[in-house]
Parts: sequence; C-alpha cells; structure tokens
Amino acid sequence: MGPALTWYLAISAFLFAIGALGVMLRRSPLIVLLSLEIMLNGANLALITFSRHHGELDGQIFALAVMAVAAAEVVVGLGLIVAVHRRRLDLDVDKLSTLRG
Amino acid sequence: MIAAAWVCLLAPLGAAVAITLGGTRWSRRAAGYLATASVATSFVAAAVAFFSILGDPPEERTHLTTAWTWLSAGNFDVGLTLLVDPLSIFMMLIVSCVGALIVGYSIGYMDGDEEERRFFAYMALFVFSMLLLVQGGNYLMLLVGWGLVGLSSYLLIGFHHERPAAVAAAKKAFIMNAFGDATMALAFLVLIQRTGSLSFDAGFEWSEGAAGSWAVNLVALGLLGGAVAKSAQLPLQTWLPDAMEGPTPVSALIHAATMVTAGVYLLVRTAPIFEQAPGVQDIAAGLGAATILLAGLIALVQVDIKRVIAYSTMSQIGYMFLGAGLGAYANSMFHLMTHAFFKALLFLAAGLVIHALLGEQDMRKMGGLRQFLPRTYLAFLIGALALTGIPPLSGFFSKDSILASALAAGTYGQVLFVVGLAGAFLTGLYTFRMVFLVFGGEPSAYAREHFHRPERTEPWLWMGLSVGALAVLAVIGGWIQIAGIWHPLADFLKPAAEPLIEPTGLQDLFASVLAVGLGIAGVAIAWAVYSARTIAVPQSRNMQAVLEHKFYFDELYDWVFYRPTVFLTRTLRDYFERPILLGSIDAIATSARRIGNEVTELQTGLVRTYALSIAGGVTVLALVFVWVK
Amino acid sequence: MGNFVVWMVWVVAAFACLGSGAAVVSFSNPYYSALALIGNLGSLAVLYLLLSAEFVAAAQVLVYAGAVMVMFLFVIAYLGRHADAPWAGGPSWQALGAVAAAGSLMVEIVVVIGLKASGRLSDAPDISAGFGSPYEVGKLFLTDHLLAFEITSIVLLAAAVGGVVLGSHARGEEEAA
Repeated sequence: MGPALTWYLAISAFLFAIGALGVMLRRSPLIVLLSLEIMLNGANLALITFSRHHGELDGQIFALAVMAVAAAEVVVGLGLIVAVHRRRLDLDVDKLSTLRG
Repeated sequence: MIAAAWVCLLAPLGAAVAITLGGTRWSRRAAGYLATASVATSFVAAAVAFFSILGDPPEERTHLTTAWTWLSAGNFDVGLTLLVDPLSIFMMLIVSCVGALIVGYSIGYMDGDEEERRFFAYMALFVFSMLLLVQGGNYLMLLVGWGLVGLSSYLLIGFHHERPAAVAAAKKAFIMNAFGDATMALAFLVLIQRTGSLSFDAGFEWSEGAAGSWAVNLVALGLLGGAVAKSAQLPLQTWLPDAMEGPTPVSALIHAATMVTAGVYLLVRTAPIFEQAPGVQDIAAGLGAATILLAGLIALVQVDIKRVIAYSTMSQIGYMFLGAGLGAYANSMFHLMTHAFFKALLFLAAGLVIHALLGEQDMRKMGGLRQFLPRTYLAFLIGALALTGIPPLSGFFSKDSILASALAAGTYGQVLFVVGLAGAFLTGLYTFRMVFLVFGGEPSAYAREHFHRPERTEPWLWMGLSVGALAVLAVIGGWIQIAGIWHPLADFLKPAAEPLIEPTGLQDLFASVLAVGLGIAGVAIAWAVYSARTIAVPQSRNMQAVLEHKFYFDELYDWVFYRPTVFLTRTLRDYFERPILLGSIDAIATSARRIGNEVTELQTGLVRTYALSIAGGVTVLALVFVWVK
Repeated sequence: MGNFVVWMVWVVAAFACLGSGAAVVSFSNPYYSALALIGNLGSLAVLYLLLSAEFVAAAQVLVYAGAVMVMFLFVIAYLGRHADAPWAGGPSWQALGAVAAAGSLMVEIVVVIGLKASGRLSDAPDISAGFGSPYEVGKLFLTDHLLAFEITSIVLLAAAVGGVVLGSHARGEEEAA
C-alpha cells in the first residue's frame, strides 16, 4: 500500500541535502541551527523508513533518541546565540572567527 | 703460598682504597706510612711465597689460582686468575722491594706537599697494578694490570696538574701506551679466535702447532707492540723523557725500575709464542739494540739531570730487549733486577740533589756538589759505576751476561754484540759526564747561592735510609749469578723460561773484558772532557741539533700522526658535521615549523568552511563505500 | 480506494515537506524560517504516520514542533531586529563548493537507493497491529535499549545545566550594557 519505501528515502536524502546547503550557505547562526534541524529530521525519516522495512522497532527507538539529543543541542545552541548577542557581537558566523589558527 | 700471593697483591690496593676513602682524616704523613707499610707487607708476602715455592720440586713450581670466573660467554671463560711461578715471584720480589724503598723515600721527598695523600694513594695503586700485571694468570688479567699501570703512570706523571707541561706529558705517555694496548688487544683477539681461550697454556700449545704461520707472527707482533710502547723502545720511545715531569720518586719507581720493565716481562712470559715466530723475536732484539744506540747518543747532550737518567733507562732496557729477543731470558731478567736497583738509586740520589737545590734540575747550573753532599755523591757514584758495568758491582754481571749471549747467538747476534759494546762505551761516557758536571770540580755560583742543607728530620731519615739500602743492593745485587760458575737465578727461572742460548766460558770472558774496557774508556774520556778539561767538547752544529732534537722523532710523529689527524677532524667538522649533521637537525626543525605554518592556514575560524569540509568528506566517504560494496 | 487516499496523502505531505525545507533555507526573515520549519515538522509527522510509527509521530509534534520550535521562536523574538539574516554575499567558491557537495550527496544517495537497493526495499514485511504503538516502543526502550534511554536522560540533564550556565550572567551584563 502506498508508495514504495524508496520514495521515502528520496525525501530523506533531499531533506538532508537542503539542510546541508543551509548550514554551509547562511550567515546567521539562527538559520544555521534551523538548517541543522532539517538535517536531523532527514536522518530521522530514514531511520523510521528502515524500521518499517525490517519490521523491527529499533529504528524508531533510535529516532526518539535523536529527537532528544536534538532538543538538547538546540538548548545549548540557542544559549550560545543569546550569550553572543549579549556581548554585542554581530550574529554572523563569518565574523565569529576568533578560533582562527 | 697462594694466600701469600693474594696478600701481596691486595695489600697495596687496600692502602690505596683506604687513603682515598679516608681523605683528610689521614694526616699526610700517616698516608705515607700506610702506603709504605702496605708495600712492605707485599714484600714480606712475596718472600713467604718465594720460600714456600722453593719447597716444591722445580718441575712443579707453576701454580694457578682462580678466585672466580669473571667472564663467561658461550665457550669462552676467563677467571680472576693469579699465576705463582718462578718468573712471577721474581718480579713480585723486585717490585715490592724496590717499591717499598721508593715509597718510603717519598715520605721524605713529598713532605710538605699539599696533595701528599693523593700521591701515596696513586703510588699504592701503581704497585697493585704492577703486581697484578706480573701475577696475572691469563692474558686478560695481564691486560688489566697493563692498563692500570698505564693509568697510574698517567696520574702520577700529571701529579702536578697545575703545570701544563706535566699534563701534556701525561697525555703523551698515555696515548702512546694506548697504541701498544691496542696492538696487544689485537693479538689477544687472534688468540681467542684460534684457541677460544685467553689462558697462557692454550696460547703456547696453539703456537707450537701453528709455528711460523702468519697468525703466530701477528700475535707476536701485537705483543711486541705493547712491549715496545710500555718499555719506551724504538719507535715508541718519545714519551719517556717527557715523563720526567713527574716527581722524582715517580720517575724512579715507574719509569726506571718497574713499569718500563713490564715490556721485558711480557717478552719473557710469552717467550714460547715468540720462539715460534723467530722473525719477530729478531725484530725485538734489533729494536733493543737500536734503542741502546739512540738513547745513548741523545743522553750525551741532555742538560737536565733526570733526562740523562731517563735516556739511560731507555738504553738499558734496550739491553734487556736484546737479551730477550735472542732467547737469553734469565740474563735479561737478571739485568732487569740489577737495573732496578742501580737506576732507582740514581734517581733517588738525583732527587736528593734536586731537593738540596730547591728544585733545580739543570746540570749546567750545578757543580762541585761533592763538597756539599758527600754521602749523596757516594751513593750516586755507586749507581753510576754499577750502570757502567764496573766489577764487582751488580751491573757488570748482568750486562756482560747479555753481551755474552749475544756473542753466542750466531751472526745476527754478533752484530748486535758490537752494538751492545758501543752502548757500553756510550754509557760510561754520558754517565760520568753527568757525574762530573754535577759533583765534580768547584761549586758553581748557583750552587753556592741556592744550596739548602736539609734538616735532619724524620722524613729526611727515610730518604737517607732508602738511598742507603738501594746502594747496598746495587753493590751486592749482582752477586747472585756469576756467569759460568754460580747460577742459582738462571736455575730458578728455567722452568718458567727456558733460555735458547748458553754462552761458553770463553765468550763470557771475552765479552766481559771488552765491555769493561770500553766502559772505562768512556769514563776516561768523560773525565778528560768534563773534569780535567784537557779535551774540548766536540763541536758539530748538525750533530748537536740532531741529538738535541732527539733524532727528530717528535717532529716526525707530529707530521705523520698529529697533523693529519687534526686536519681530518677539522675537515670532517667543517664539511660533514656542521653542514650535514647539525644542519640536518636545523633543517628538520625549520621544515617542521614551516609545515606547521602551512597547516595553520586550514584553520580559518569560519564555521562554514568547516561545515563544507565535513560535507565534502562525507561525500567522498559515501562514494568509497558504494564503490567498495 | 484506500491506496489512492494513501498516495494522495503521501504526495501532499511530501511536497509540503520539501517545500517547507527549501523555505527554511531561503527566507531572510528568521521568523518565517522558523514557521516554515514547523510546517516541515508537521508534514514529517504525517509521513511517520504513513510508516506506522504512531508514537514517533506524536512525539515529533509534541516535542519537536511543540517545545523545540517554540523555544526557537522565543529566542527569535528576544533577538528582535538583530536576528535578521540576509543572504551571504555573491556566489563565492564556498557557495559553489557547498552546492556541489550537497548536490552530489543527494545524487549519490538516490542512485544507491534507486539502483542497488530498490529491489529489496519494495517488499515490506507484514507487521502486527501494535507496530509503532507506545506500548511496543516503551517496552523496547525499557528492556533492550535501557542504556540508550538512561544516557539520553543524562544528555538532557547536561543540556539543562548548560542552558542555565549560559544564561546565568544575565543581570550583570545587562547592567554593564
């Protein structure tokens, strides 16, 4: 019933690529984080698909763990952005390069 | 007897260690007494061993005793072995007797020196080393003693280390001896390869089987190289005159009586090997003869009293080499013994003269000291007469026995006999030149000004006692063997070293007459030139220059060895070590830093670049996985 | 008929997903990007339902769309005009490289799935009715994957602590500013 699982994986690949583009091309750290979320969701979709394919629930368990970790990461990321903002720095990843070697 | 041998060996070592560890807790005089007592103990122990060995029948007089196995590698075993046989006991007696007398003398001579304790520690160390050398039961122990003797010599020559001349002389002596050590080590390596062992007997057995082969000749040459270096014979003789920078007791003990005779001992000990390599034995005799002449000639122009005596040592050891090279082992050892007595006597008496003149050694400033130091003059005269070989003093018996053996040894021996006779003439000449210059005539102005009569304190007493004892020995020492009539010494040494030639009574007489005659002729000419001043000193600018420069050996070695080595090291340093070795290290460091700088460019600090590189990497990885699958 | 409905739902959800994904990346106003992401998450939830992952779909809406995105919106609101994020400058080598990398990645995955795995992927096994239900997921979490469960909770704790620490100097800096 419904489309073959291949199509779901195609969507997953597309989402991942879009997210990667966003991470690499946008300058605002907020948007970068959002793109990161898209990448994670793409991965989640792939996991769920394969779980359905095998008939085992392990993929879904993994997806739930990914979700939890993504949430944690967003907390810290947003905290960093707010801290950067508090220091009156530009919210521009190109300008935040003090770790330059 | 074995216990006595160990006591003899270890007593001086104990003294040396005790003095070293005790440091300033010993008073300076006490260190001297301790050292002297230890060497005297050695003498007593050696005497005990001697008497107990007399109890054995002559064929069974070789005793080997091993304390423990020192080195064990596969089939190769070497033990801490001592050998007690007639030859080694003979040397032990001489070394400890003369050693005790000289160390006792040093109590007086070195009195007041700041570093007296160090001196006595070194002297005790030397006596231990020399005893180890002569008591060594295998080649390794001999080599250990050999090396330690070289070390003690270095330490004692350079005793006054604040004097650059002394330090340089010590280095020269050590390096030339090291050359000899190297050739000896090579000989030992050949022995190990051929026999798998370093024991004396194994070497002798093998040499009999391999007589005349190049291996035996190589071993003999190596041993000869070591003997030549240690005994300051041609061509390794240049270190001995310089070694006179050391204090006079050192010159007496090491460079007259004992260390320089170690080469002769080696030749006699390893005689069975040399007998299988007759060419090398002839070379040894020839070198000895050449040295007799060379040293005798150079001694004629020396102005330092100690250097004259040093060259006469070189010359007399030439006689010993001559004897040992021709196979007259007992006669060589006999001359070794008498030479120890009268040469030590000469040195110590010269030391008294030097002390009296507050350190002056130049004979040209001396003169007429007979009036100021009559007893010293007597002792010196006895020594000089013994050296020249005037009967009935000791030198006469021993030197003439060697000359007679040379006469009996075929054509080659007879050539060497003539050389030996020339040497006897020269000996008389230079010895009495020295006597007349120092003691004869009227006192010089310098002597009058600087003469300092020593007080009759206890240390002075020691000096007098030693010199007196040695004078007595120099007189009677030769009476232990009268050629042809009474030869207990030769009989004693026969089991250890079977002589190859026995001169006839007629040859003995002929040699003695000629030698004594020539000796007296030399004395007469010396008297004429230096005392009565009837003949002027012969003037020959070229000859004078050659003799004063010691036949230019030092210059030769400088050009052949020193300069090329310095040139080589400088070239290596400038063209190899600095640019390549050091430069490579610099280059490694510089290139590491440069690579690091290049790599730093990768860290742009921009998140986007990092993300891009991650994405790129993932792409590549995915491709790889797909392909591999 | 049922199949047709499923297909229709899938098509709508898929396009919504892709469209909102593109929108997130391309809007310059971060507020709009966040809203687009919410839409993305919602359409993904629908896709999860189609794959019989009911619990995950619910969790997605509750946690992701509900909590995480709300947090995002709070921060964007806090930042105000400073959050505006214009596009980066003209096409540089970085942009080209990025597009190339992302594109090739997608192509790779699609090719792999399409060519190699499509045969096997087409037959999905029969599943029980309780597949994807909270009961089944919970049972697995608390038996086979207990360790992952516990560690995840520690990660969340660490994130909470981190958030507090990052936000703790609020007073001092505000006054200094």
